[in-house]
Amino acid sequence: MRSLTSVISCLAALSSYAAAELNLSQPLLSKQVLSTTFTPPQVFKNANLVRTTNLDKGFPRETINVIIENIDAKPQSEYYLPFESSLISRVGGFEVKDKKAPEKGPFNVEVVGFDTSSPTEFYLIHLPTALAPKEQQTLSISYSVLSALTPVPAQIAQSDKQYVQFTFSAYTPSAYLTEKQKSKVKFPNADVPDYTTLPAEVNADKKADPQKQGSTFSYGPYNNIPAGAEQLVSVRYEFTKPITHASLLERDVEVSHWGGNLATEERYWLSNQGASLKNHFSRVEWQKTSYMNPPTSALKQLNLPLAPGALDPYFTDDIGNVSTSRFRPGVRESSLELKPRYPIFGGWKYTFRVGWDSNLSDHLRKLSTGESYVLKVPFLEGPRNPEGIQYARVTLRVVLPEGAKNVKYSTSVPIIDSQTSLHQTFMDTIGRTSLTLTAINLSDDFRDRDLIVTYDYPWTAGFRKPIVFTLGTFAVFATWWVVGSLDNSIGKKKTV
Amino acid sequence: MSSPLLDVWEAAAASPYQPTVGKGSQFTVGFLLLLVAFLLAGVFSLNRSFINVSVIGIPASLAFGFGAVYMICAVGVYV
Repeated sequence: MRSLTSVISCLAALSSYAAAELNLSQPLLSKQVLSTTFTPPQVFKNANLVRTTNLDKGFPRETINVIIENIDAKPQSEYYLPFESSLISRVGGFEVKDKKAPEKGPFNVEVVGFDTSSPTEFYLIHLPTALAPKEQQTLSISYSVLSALTPVPAQIAQSDKQYVQFTFSAYTPSAYLTEKQKSKVKFPNADVPDYTTLPAEVNADKKADPQKQGSTFSYGPYNNIPAGAEQLVSVRYEFTKPITHASLLERDVEVSHWGGNLATEERYWLSNQGASLKNHFSRVEWQKTSYMNPPTSALKQLNLPLAPGALDPYFTDDIGNVSTSRFRPGVRESSLELKPRYPIFGGWKYTFRVGWDSNLSDHLRKLSTGESYVLKVPFLEGPRNPEGIQYARVTLRVVLPEGAKNVKYSTSVPIIDSQTSLHQTFMDTIGRTSLTLTAINLSDDFRDRDLIVTYDYPWTAGFRKPIVFTLGTFAVFATWWVVGSLDNSIGKKKTV
Repeated sequence: MSSPLLDVWEAAAASPYQPTVGKGSQFTVGFLLLLVAFLLAGVFSLNRSFINVSVIGIPASLAFGFGAVYMICAVGVYV
């Protein structure tokens, strides 16, 4: 009997192994996996929902303000928000707050998926306090969708306007019945040549859909939309700005106690996701128009605002130093203006690195509890351009002094991976403790988020570098004396 | 938003980290220490004896160890 049970359990384990197929389209992300038959329990309804899609930047930013009501007999605290699995891997900066008490901070959220490839996955929002039956709460859900804009036409001439298309559902995707809802789309300008119109019967007010107000379009209101309903609509609008996308940003922050310095280096792998050039690039046309500074789909310049006190910046790429940069130190903010070696048109790429130093006293404090330190650095710096910049993956490495231990960190940026390892570089014997944090799908909206790291650093560990060099030099002196006192003369030994 | 580590940061506001030798004087200190090490090595080379290995060798080694650390910081490789 026991052997039969063990055989069955082995078979079950094997079958689960076979079914656990890796979904490689999903980036590294911790998530809860549910069985295929899972549907969110219908314990909530959305009493009123307003979604605002902001298309000012090169990636749509969504804000959903929703009044949820518990329609179950028991208190409930788990609210699900569905996404298509192709979309959820591009959703970033997902944050949920209580609309009426935003100062309480974001709620806990996690991604839940299915054990087989399913078209729908969910964000699970944990309400900090369970909602009693018939109670209501207003949630403010915000996120951005990366790589969501498609240039139409896909190829344009060098000085043409660029138009992009964005497809979304006029009904906000929801796992619950939505009694009343509306979708607002804010465009960067009023030049919207194409958009989907929906029949007036669908609209609750029996009006033409969408309603236009300047550069804002409204789809809806719609009444009693069931869970999971979708109504895809597309809009095409003018966006003659670069769609800057960083497939990877590696950022190193290096702490030096001996030098009193915090060195920052950022390595970018940028591309422009805008419309590609129809013809060859014309340097003459580019130079002619550049004096007028017209809007262009090419990325011409990146502005990096740095903290005051930034020193010694550098800007290099694969070829070497890029001389087209300007550094303006300031009291409130230092500004680093970078001009890439060439204008980056749609489909073009540019890889470069920038770095700078700053005084450690602005970022590091000593704790009163002995040999512990606390470090505060921005999680993300980087360019601040009006059209925004999206980061598919950010790897931040904080290199602490050699011998630092008991490393703890805290940040409000959603992290998918963290590890502590040793990094060996100049004058190291065992290597410096380094903390590596990875985040995905970030945008420049995360510029003002901080990372706080605490670590223990005994003073004995601090003397490792000079002591190693001292011992080495002393060994040279000792060898010098030993070798110098060897008698290597030819002939008979002299006696004094 | 408040977090425990942010409170730790705020609590330590009065004690920002100050290095023993500031950025402005790293080159001077490093250069002087290396010069001392060089001169002591010169003295040792003129009179190599067992007693001088410790009397001159130890201060010279210490000067070179600390001098090297400050000089590498002064030239921009912050260790």
